[in-house]
Amino acid sequence: MSSSTQTCDRGAHVQWTGEDGRARTVFAVEGMRCAGCARSIERAIGALDGIERVQVNVATARVAVDWCADRARLADIVRAVEHAGFRPLPLAGEQADRAFRLERRTAIKRIGLAGLGMMQVMMFVYGLYAADPNGIDPQMAQYLRVVSMLVATPVLLYSGVPFFAGAWQNLKRRTLGMDVPVAAAIALAYGASVFNTLRGAGEVYFDSVTMFIFFLLTGRFVEMTVRQRSLSGSEALARSVPATALRVRPDGSTERVPVSALASGDRISIPRGSVVPVDCELLEGEALVDESLVTGEAKPVLRRAGDRLLGGSVNVGHPVRALARADVAGSTIASLVSLLERGRAERPRLASAADRAAARFVFAILLLSAAVATGWSIVDPSRAFEATLAVLVVTCPCALSLATPAVLAAATSRLTRMGLLVTNGDAIERLARVTTVMIDKTGTLTTGAVRITHTDTFGNLTPQRARAIAAALERDSSHPLAAAFSGFAQPDVVATATREFPGQGVEGCVDGKTWRLGRAEFVLAGLRADVAGSAAGALDAVAQNAVVLGDSHGIEACFVVAEDVRSDARAAIERLRAAGLEVVIASGDGRATVSRTAAALGIDEAHGRLTPERKVELLRERQRMGRRVLMIGDGINDGPVLAAADVSCAMGEGSAVAQAAADLLLLNPSLSAIAEGAATARRALGVMRQNLTWALVYNVCAVPLAALGFVPPWVAAIGMSVSSLVVVLNAGRVARPPHARKVAARSSVPLSPREATA
Amino acid sequence: MSSAYLLIPLGLVLMAVATAVLFWAVNSGQFDDLEEAGRSILESDDTPRADPDAALDRD
Repeated sequence: MSSSTQTCDRGAHVQWTGEDGRARTVFAVEGMRCAGCARSIERAIGALDGIERVQVNVATARVAVDWCADRARLADIVRAVEHAGFRPLPLAGEQADRAFRLERRTAIKRIGLAGLGMMQVMMFVYGLYAADPNGIDPQMAQYLRVVSMLVATPVLLYSGVPFFAGAWQNLKRRTLGMDVPVAAAIALAYGASVFNTLRGAGEVYFDSVTMFIFFLLTGRFVEMTVRQRSLSGSEALARSVPATALRVRPDGSTERVPVSALASGDRISIPRGSVVPVDCELLEGEALVDESLVTGEAKPVLRRAGDRLLGGSVNVGHPVRALARADVAGSTIASLVSLLERGRAERPRLASAADRAAARFVFAILLLSAAVATGWSIVDPSRAFEATLAVLVVTCPCALSLATPAVLAAATSRLTRMGLLVTNGDAIERLARVTTVMIDKTGTLTTGAVRITHTDTFGNLTPQRARAIAAALERDSSHPLAAAFSGFAQPDVVATATREFPGQGVEGCVDGKTWRLGRAEFVLAGLRADVAGSAAGALDAVAQNAVVLGDSHGIEACFVVAEDVRSDARAAIERLRAAGLEVVIASGDGRATVSRTAAALGIDEAHGRLTPERKVELLRERQRMGRRVLMIGDGINDGPVLAAADVSCAMGEGSAVAQAAADLLLLNPSLSAIAEGAATARRALGVMRQNLTWALVYNVCAVPLAALGFVPPWVAAIGMSVSSLVVVLNAGRVARPPHARKVAARSSVPLSPREATA
Repeated sequence: MSSAYLLIPLGLVLMAVATAVLFWAVNSGQFDDLEEAGRSILESDDTPRADPDAALDRD
């Protein structure tokens, strides 16, 4: 799949186009509020020719379309969305930013007007409530009604617009969203109040109308903030690429060019404090870079000459020069952004289930209101209106239609900030249910740096010569072992026809002889039959887990390698176990190495020397036992295992990880993000359950009371608004780290006045 | 009681003024970023404004 980007005039964004002419487009949509909206967009686009799949995510306001580039045009898709009554928005960068800002400004103005109006109307109506019905001067009462109407009308016409617009959209498409009962309640209450004001008698509900609008807008504002903040993760990534870069001319002077003009092979200058524009290779010296925007790793990392610098990281050390290794679109950060967008655009299973439930709920409310209206008009017609209004106002489908997607969005944003990218909409739900964590040791628990601690030779090779041959064989390999040998390379030892056998070793030609380097079995398999038996016997004496070098005549050398355990791995493993998760190592490395690492980390179950097939088998065994397995691998050798796991997490560096087909990408080199990520996912699911329980309890208590006429409209407005605020605020809780307050308290304690001034 | 006929319209005028002030504040970007303003005081403002090449030479 080649990744290409093109921008259409309406601002939608083609994320990538495949060779077979299939394209995938992701864009944002303004004006989407509920499941009904999502379905109508799906229908509108799906009706076009050449559309394969449409996915709409309400929480993130994203639409993803898979389409055939030769049968449909992007402009048609954009037009279809516009025709359905929505405004497609460009995704990343300045324009999306402007759209966000406008949305936010309008929301604040609406809330402000509603709040000011609410305060005024409440004071006026207080006169009507407080006065003894016979005590108040009828003329004064009428005066208060008229003044209330004067204030409530602009509130309704300006601040109430979103509800009416939403309800109108719903009705036009014959679907039911939560705006329908809200708009009906507002319109009924306002209409009746105006009627009574003009008539000069009866109750007015201007206070309830303004209050209802104010509280509902506040709830929506909080929800919008959560949503915008969760989107800012990928936007922050996209925006972390600067607009211009310093290119070094052949004569050594620099020129400022747009980042898009950079190509692979350009020399660039990166001043202190500026952002690395594209993936590049450090030319000389050392660089201290802060990769926190890309990987979530908080501490600056030291890179040496020849090391790769990630686009989007910040140079916090000396100014450096580097060689561009990719253009902007080909840099790691671009593929991460598009992966993140893919995850965002998919509608999670939980959210669509909640959407469907909300639509049924709204339908039930409307039926119930009709029943209440009929019932009361038989029993006591004078109270029919208030009771019906109360039922419409008091019910709250927010926990379903607003809060569930908001929780998922908040969790996604929190995970992104920890360096754990979610590329699959359902990954959070599945991550929360994981019971077993299976780790491929190489590169996940250890630093990935392998050292050769000991070299044994058997033939007439010197240890130096053996290491040089091994280095030549491993020269083009990306296996961690290759780096261990790279220091021993000699210019006169060159390997040809090298071939890599995944999980086993490498084979190649040095000085006319065919050498094999890797596991003992692999090298033994390459021996001539007559020497194989004696060689195997000789090898038994040596450590079984060593890396073996041999040609067709026998084993020539044996290297004992050791890997360093990551400093934070132990703490991360302990956290996982404290959370009740079983931790298993399933590695292709030697048994002794694996069990040593496992012992160092306190892991009971560790399997070494596993082939990829065996890893899958082990994983399936667990799944048959009813476990749900999170597989953490480096994403390159572990493709089949990752695909078989309940949740897969690829771990690694740079663009390689971005190509891995995993549900989660761990960009942070620390495994503790996994422990924290699992905790966040569980918390998200917990918060969702709390919200649903709250909504159930609230509605079960409030609706019968309202139907029986015990709830005046203003109490209903407060109840519904508070209930909706509770679920939305609860959802936002997921986006924050659980111990933020404790840490803040602790850091403020130890500073005594003397220390503070010192 | 007749004071209400004067004071309530006065209140309405004040509300209109308050709304106008709020709308002006929102439109002029006062509420766009509530965190940055508080944080900006902590950030040094001595970043080299001149050509970054100059910074390169100095270091």
